[in-house]
Amino acid sequence: MSERKIKLQIKDMTKKYDNGDGVEHINLDIYEGEIVTFLGPSGCGKTTILRTIGGFLDVTSGDITVDGQSIISLPPEKRPTAMVFQSYNLWPHMTIYENLAFGLKLRKIPKAEIDADVKKYLQLVSMPGCEKKYPGQLSGGQQQRIAIARSLMLKPSLLLLDEPFSALDAKIRQQMREELKKIQQDLGITVIFVTHDQEEAMSLSHRIVVMNKGKFEQTGTPAEIYDKPATLHVASFIGEMNFLKKDGKTIAVRPEDLTVSQGHGGGQFDATVRTIMLLGHYVVMTAQHGEDVIKCYINRDLSERLKEGDPVSLAVGKHTVF
Amino acid sequence: MSKSLKRNLVAYGLVLPAFLVVMLTVAYPIVLAVIQSFQDSKTGAFTLDNYAYFFTEPAQLKNILYTLYVCLMTVAIAIVVAYLLALYLRFVRSRIAKTIGTLYLVPRFVPAMCAVYAMITIIRDSGLINRIGLIFGHDVKLGLMYHASGMIMMNLWFNIPFAALMITAGLGAIPDSIIEGARDVGAGKFKVFTSMILPLSIKDVVVAATFVFMSNVGSFTTPYLMGGSAPKMLGIALFDQFNKYLAYNRSAALSVIMFLICSVSAGVYIYTNLKENEWEK
Repeated sequence: MSERKIKLQIKDMTKKYDNGDGVEHINLDIYEGEIVTFLGPSGCGKTTILRTIGGFLDVTSGDITVDGQSIISLPPEKRPTAMVFQSYNLWPHMTIYENLAFGLKLRKIPKAEIDADVKKYLQLVSMPGCEKKYPGQLSGGQQQRIAIARSLMLKPSLLLLDEPFSALDAKIRQQMREELKKIQQDLGITVIFVTHDQEEAMSLSHRIVVMNKGKFEQTGTPAEIYDKPATLHVASFIGEMNFLKKDGKTIAVRPEDLTVSQGHGGGQFDATVRTIMLLGHYVVMTAQHGEDVIKCYINRDLSERLKEGDPVSLAVGKHTVF
Repeated sequence: MSKSLKRNLVAYGLVLPAFLVVMLTVAYPIVLAVIQSFQDSKTGAFTLDNYAYFFTEPAQLKNILYTLYVCLMTVAIAIVVAYLLALYLRFVRSRIAKTIGTLYLVPRFVPAMCAVYAMITIIRDSGLINRIGLIFGHDVKLGLMYHASGMIMMNLWFNIPFAALMITAGLGAIPDSIIEGARDVGAGKFKVFTSMILPLSIKDVVVAATFVFMSNVGSFTTPYLMGGSAPKMLGIALFDQFNKYLAYNRSAALSVIMFLICSVSAGVYIYTNLKENEWEK
């Protein structure tokens, strides 16, 4: 990993708003060809960092470099970045062709080349033939694909995506993720993605930066974040997690890491079956242990032998102690 | 009686009072005026003389051209100033901008007569500016009274806030992200203005211009108090025809002429509103 080229470097960057909110002492290296996601609840500062990289916010102190060159004094139009906004902001008074060609025209690229590029990128985002339409005539998902194409056509050094799929419905969002990942692989570009959706972050990223209240809580691969959460916040924010109290410590364990057996005494925790819900190929069971409600995944076979009120015991597998 | 017929009758019944009021107070006098404008004042026979008078009599023709000049100048200056003001209010975040944003509509709340008299006491040749000049030993004679420039100045007082209000609303509807998107792909400030802000707000500018134009074609208070005796604004010319010369047929013809001038601007307004539908539907 160490010989990989660093694309973007954020060095001790601080951005404070007038009201005191913001992010402080941010340090991060992002490598060439990587998808890095900033993940966190709204107001945690993830969009702030993205906008300082794009040039829409000034930094209070620190530095941001792309390919070793500081970019903080450049206006957005001079930066080697392209941003896709949450509100797929196509220009409503321009056709799709004009939307896609606008940035290339500014770069004085010959018309024949622009025409070919527009065609190619519309193909890439699976929207061929819509050059003459206006943004208002497309659905949200289609508009966002055009917005992504518009950014990609400028061949940015860095693609910034600010919750680009949050306004789309679940099925299209899934599809867009796959498309984005494929496009990223095909073009080999570096992508920074901002989202509050942990599933989106897990499925899309090479590395995830989990943020809370303006700070980095953990940086790592999806597997690292999922398997070894560094803090209680990360543990509770990513995926399903049970928190069990024992001897003054908190044991964080995922539902799939609990082994359930019938009757008491078979594991570390004795509990009583509270609810059993069939969710297709697996079953979610919740069990009462003192004050706590514990969630477990069990197979169909076991679920048929259990009913509400039955005693069970839970054996803890992989877990983290806080 | 069927149910739908009953419902229709109720609907017509609700519209009828408003309809009658409009027919009696607007449509009927208009039709009457149009008929009257084509009648000879003595015999009542059909004639075009009433119209010919305003286009052949040099003094009257001058009034029409003078009115157009004052209106077009007012529109041009008011729109440019209002657009700059609206851009400032939309894009500058400062305490001064906020204060101006709150205060710029105040002129709309001053009654027209008060505003005109206030302006007169300041700009007339023996007014405030003259007196301040005298303190420093200069006898400043602005010469704005009874002159087109004084009236245009007064019109700007009334129309800049109005035009700025309409244009500000239009600019306010342009999301920041549209501008950020344009800058992101490499557009500088000037390009952002010509490619994004201007095309997205031009409709509001044209609509504001038509409104300013129409309200000034028939204006009366300002020209009555500040205008000269010749040439006159059409509002005053009409007042003279009707109240001084009791020339009702000519008054009717002049009213129709003023209406036609306004309808050019109304046409522009309707055209602009229909045209945008291309990308907004």
